[in-house]
Amino acid sequence: MHLTLRALISHGRVARRMGLGPESRINMLRNILTGLVRHERIETTRARADEVRFYAEKLIDYAKKGDTNEKSMKMADFWLTEKDLIPKLFKVLASRFENQSSGYTRMARLPNRENLDRAAMAVIEYKGNPFPPLFPVKKENELNLVNQLLKGYREERAQLTGFQD
Amino acid sequence: MPLSGFIRFFRHSLQRLESSLVHAAGFDRSLGPALAVHGPSLLPQPQHIGDHNSMPSFLDSIFWMAAPKKRRTIEVNRCRRRNPNKLIEVKTNIEPCPECGNLKQKHALCGFCYEKVQKETALIRKQIQKMEGRPLNAPSVETVVLYENEAPGDADKNKRIVERSRKRPSWFNL
Repeated sequence: MHLTLRALISHGRVARRMGLGPESRINMLRNILTGLVRHERIETTRARADEVRFYAEKLIDYAKKGDTNEKSMKMADFWLTEKDLIPKLFKVLASRFENQSSGYTRMARLPNRENLDRAAMAVIEYKGNPFPPLFPVKKENELNLVNQLLKGYREERAQLTGFQD
Repeated sequence: MPLSGFIRFFRHSLQRLESSLVHAAGFDRSLGPALAVHGPSLLPQPQHIGDHNSMPSFLDSIFWMAAPKKRRTIEVNRCRRRNPNKLIEVKTNIEPCPECGNLKQKHALCGFCYEKVQKETALIRKQIQKMEGRPLNAPSVETVVLYENEAPGDADKNKRIVERSRKRPSWFNL
């Protein structure tokens, strides 16, 4: 093809090159997206998780338009290779995210894979899935010395303000 | 290109070697069946004009090969081997996980804590597989996981309930 500067310089290009070509990349992402919609939590390489995030959120945006929408149904039909997930997408995932405008997915990086390739892995999930949380919820232990002292201080302050009033 | 110079040099040297061997053995083609003359077996051969035409490139001598002139001293060797760009970089992005105390990278999840979560999700998925029966049978309702001695609440009314026969783990509180 004509070797333009546009072909050589890739400033601002957001889509990564994956697989054997653009068609192969879309097919790969379609498989990963189908798996994500089925299992709601997926472990892949970092690059693939990052790429699929965009498509996952766009799919939810299309699903929110409702299943009577012609374009939405075509998109869901193309992107989900396992057709029993189409009702799940429109009924479960669209209603789960109806109050949110964006940010339906969460991606976290994992330690490198244990194989010889030591690939950089990531886990990507839809928010609100039924599985245990990836990030542990921080619990404040009230029985610490510092926390007990602070509690006592707050109570004294409340007593003093009570006397002044 | 030095490569073509080398090829030319080797070809010339092989030709010269061959011709000198032929002279020494006395099998010179130019001496055919003629009058046997008692003389030296090595007769002066007419020089090939081709040799004068080609530029005497500096690569034609076999003595032009790179070799170290002096032994590298241990001081010089140490300077090269211990240069910062050859040393392994020190990583400052490793810290202990606040939950389990294993080491983890700052930008990544803790491997040990994720291992726990992974095992539990695998067991939940096995239970889901059993409930679904055949493949490609995903229901169009939400799922909720309940452990032992847990009753479904108001929010779990229209959801598929996945039972796990163990006590709820402390790190699974939602």
